[in-house]
Amino acid sequence: MKVLSKLALAAVLATALAGTAAAQGSDGIFPFDYRLVELENGFKAYLIKAGAPNQIAYVSMVRTGSRDEWEPGKSGFAHFFEHMMFRGTDKYPDYDAITAGMGAARNAFTSSDRTVYYLVASNEYLEQIMDLESDRFMNLNYSEPDFRTEAGAVLGEYQQSATTPFGFLNERVRNAAYDVHTYKHTTIGFEADVRAMPEGFDYSLSFHRRYYRPENVVLVLAGDFDLDQAERLIGQYYSGWEPGYVAPEITPEPAHTAPRSLTVRYPGRTLPILSMNYQAPAWNATDRQTVATQVLGRVAFGSNSDTYKKLVVEERRVQYLRAGFGLLRDPGLLSITTMVVDPADVGQVEQEIQTTIERFQADLVDEEIFADTKSNMKYGFLMGLETAQQVAFSMMTYVINTGGIEALEEYYRTLDSVTREDVREAARTHLIENGRTVVTMVQAEGR
Amino acid sequence: MKKLALLPVCLLVLGACEMAPEGTIALPETESPFIAFNIWVNVGSQNDPAGKEGLAALTANLLSDGGTTQDSYDAILQKLYPMAAGYGYNVDKEMTVFVGRIHEDNLEAYYELFRNHLLAPAFDEADFERVKTQTMNYLERTRRYGRDEELSKELLFSLAYEGTPYEHPEEGYVQSVADLTLDDVKQFYAQYYVSNNIVVGIGGGYPAGFVGSVRADFNALPVGEVAPIAKPEPRMPDGIQVLIVEKPTNATPISIGYPIALLRGDPDFYGMMAMSSWFGEHRTSFSHLYQVIRETRGMNYGDYSYIEAYPRGYTTQVPPVNVPRRSQLFEIWIRPISTTAPGNLHDRTLFATRAALRELKAIVDEGMTEETLAATQQYLRNYTINWASTVSRRLGYAIDDDFYGIGGDGFLGSIRPGLAALSLDEVNQSVESYLQYDNMYIVFITRDAEAMKEKLLSGVATPITYSGEKSAEHMAEDELIASFPIPVLEENIRIIGINEVFEGGGD
Repeated sequence: MKVLSKLALAAVLATALAGTAAAQGSDGIFPFDYRLVELENGFKAYLIKAGAPNQIAYVSMVRTGSRDEWEPGKSGFAHFFEHMMFRGTDKYPDYDAITAGMGAARNAFTSSDRTVYYLVASNEYLEQIMDLESDRFMNLNYSEPDFRTEAGAVLGEYQQSATTPFGFLNERVRNAAYDVHTYKHTTIGFEADVRAMPEGFDYSLSFHRRYYRPENVVLVLAGDFDLDQAERLIGQYYSGWEPGYVAPEITPEPAHTAPRSLTVRYPGRTLPILSMNYQAPAWNATDRQTVATQVLGRVAFGSNSDTYKKLVVEERRVQYLRAGFGLLRDPGLLSITTMVVDPADVGQVEQEIQTTIERFQADLVDEEIFADTKSNMKYGFLMGLETAQQVAFSMMTYVINTGGIEALEEYYRTLDSVTREDVREAARTHLIENGRTVVTMVQAEGR
Repeated sequence: MKKLALLPVCLLVLGACEMAPEGTIALPETESPFIAFNIWVNVGSQNDPAGKEGLAALTANLLSDGGTTQDSYDAILQKLYPMAAGYGYNVDKEMTVFVGRIHEDNLEAYYELFRNHLLAPAFDEADFERVKTQTMNYLERTRRYGRDEELSKELLFSLAYEGTPYEHPEEGYVQSVADLTLDDVKQFYAQYYVSNNIVVGIGGGYPAGFVGSVRADFNALPVGEVAPIAKPEPRMPDGIQVLIVEKPTNATPISIGYPIALLRGDPDFYGMMAMSSWFGEHRTSFSHLYQVIRETRGMNYGDYSYIEAYPRGYTTQVPPVNVPRRSQLFEIWIRPISTTAPGNLHDRTLFATRAALRELKAIVDEGMTEETLAATQQYLRNYTINWASTVSRRLGYAIDDDFYGIGGDGFLGSIRPGLAALSLDEVNQSVESYLQYDNMYIVFITRDAEAMKEKLLSGVATPITYSGEKSAEHMAEDELIASFPIPVLEENIRIIGINEVFEGGGD
């Protein structure tokens, strides 16, 4: 068994991309020097030297996702809007052609709390990219016909996964586990809202006006580039962006007062999938019990857990067992998902999971599994720092939840201090009956 | 058996390049803290015996997800966990690879597990049952209900390679896998996992002498005779041949293609690579098909073309490595078209099919232009750098180079000069040699297949409507697309139900 001290990790990371930057300090996990550039309008950029020669990853992180779609009938708009960001501006009407000329790999993605745009390109294009990206964030301009056309692409995207077992289940779990919070809908949105998207042109303009503001967007630029030049360009291209972020009016989900349970029928073929969900705390870098909750998911249901060994490996009663204890900006769900081999065994498997939860509420986690899990979380971070794009993406959680990358250090300091008692307390606090929503998906007919 | 005497490959070498021992491919990157493994076993699904389709994949799966004579599977999971590491496998038609990646801190402990899983498998009955049950669930349910677009591509390949060792999907058929036994797996392992049939690939920041010691470990396997498999001879379709899979779905994926006698490393490859990039670069808006079908008309999520197999394209932006083949298809992938958007059930699907075939005809008839070729050369010059961003991927490409017999700087190193040297004439000669639009396999997965068949046979126009205004010019082009001919005979349209797909050997 190997437990790394923070110092050892820092040393390890310093060699990860040797020749790029010295460690920040012997007590930090993040090995790279970074420079924070903060403009008067609230825009922040983190400049990190990392990765292969001549390449840069230019990643714009918008702290808006499907969480922010609080108006009725507008679910799916954050993602739809992400599509529209590629439709050009007056200055650069053909975004696609310009980025193709650079040979840039560029794309974007949206989830509950975030919309992230990235380009990976040769550093010779840094200024051109800065110009292009700042321009579209500030001055996006698309026509209503283009908007209506793009809505068709979104419907296609919705339909290519809506009828898969997981697309189908995910929609129903969210709908059942939330009453009022916007996490009730998936990122791609309710089907009816997706079909109504062509009529939402004016709303899309308002979406951009409220959320695409300098206070709500953080740039992480990682790669091989000149720091001073990059800082100068950020001032030059982003200073003219008018602040004006308007926070969404999201209704918090109250603590539920009774457990929920339902069975849904999948109109295709699947083994039964059991999805057990509990009301979660919001992401937090400094609260020990919150970080302990993430440890809990791994020690109780990870591939080195007793329950995994029993259900997956030894008794082979489930095809897989997964714990999704990643936390969101607002309180979300702690999910345990498993596919049961014998439909008649679903109730017993649910009881096994419940017994596991009770065990972690009563007893302290095994010391070795606990230590292995902390090591896993740290090496998981380390193993994901090979390319500039990976380094930039590894900052996403911190940027989206807090607006900066400083919370990375706080998070790993907290993880180091988490005790087995904290893990037990997390199980007692969060894996409670009244906060539980169980969704069982079975196939509608056939074998 | 392929030659195993390999030249040392030293892409992106940051330090000294050690001579790689025979039977190895080494990519030293001394300053990297990561070490990547890629063990290439020269066996693929083409080696599956008749009636035992899926055996190569099940064998690799059991090795990867089973115990060893040293450790139970559960103990392996326990040991890997603190390293945040694992290992995996991929079985394609021609090749099986076992891949792993580890931080240098944990190399010793990791390598012991990694080595044992290939050299000392336990062949435990319980592990076999677990892996087989998971595979059966995939074959009976997940493959048919998971991703229609991936299924339509697998069916396209199966049509083109009917009667050849490339015909069956790597994972096999429901019936063939149901009959596989642990003894089948043991025999397959004994026959193909022999030292002279394995190449050891290692890259990254490994210590001096490491590659040689790994090779020595693998040399402990016995030597064996491995009979070569004849190169598959795909069937060129005679006219348009259509397969419609009946399934209750709200959107229809379309796969179109035919065999081309062109492989990576051939002189015409770069010309066709430029053509296919312009016509349909994978999951980018650079793709002309994407511009026509998605960007301008909003019909679906994307539209692309290929000159090499690209399995699981929906999961990745960059080309897969270690799926090299001795025969390839030209392939068009049209992502699912809504059958519940306003309009007749199948009109949008057939409109998109017609749009793709019409664009194909245009490039066959007219070729690329100076302008489109220059734009493509400019685009790919930097874009292809992204294909090799990690040591694992560079190692994967190096192994594929050996498969194709590409020396020198390898395929990755050849892309820039290969494309830069292209003249328009050369490209268009390649287009003329390899592209055509008369003979084509087309696969649809849709509800009410009979109605689609009737509509196809009727030849009637299949126009679409828009929620917004379009220009007169646009609508005039739409009229041409809507009636673009798909000349298909009734005997060349086959319909099967979703729950028959890849059930037995006869699909």
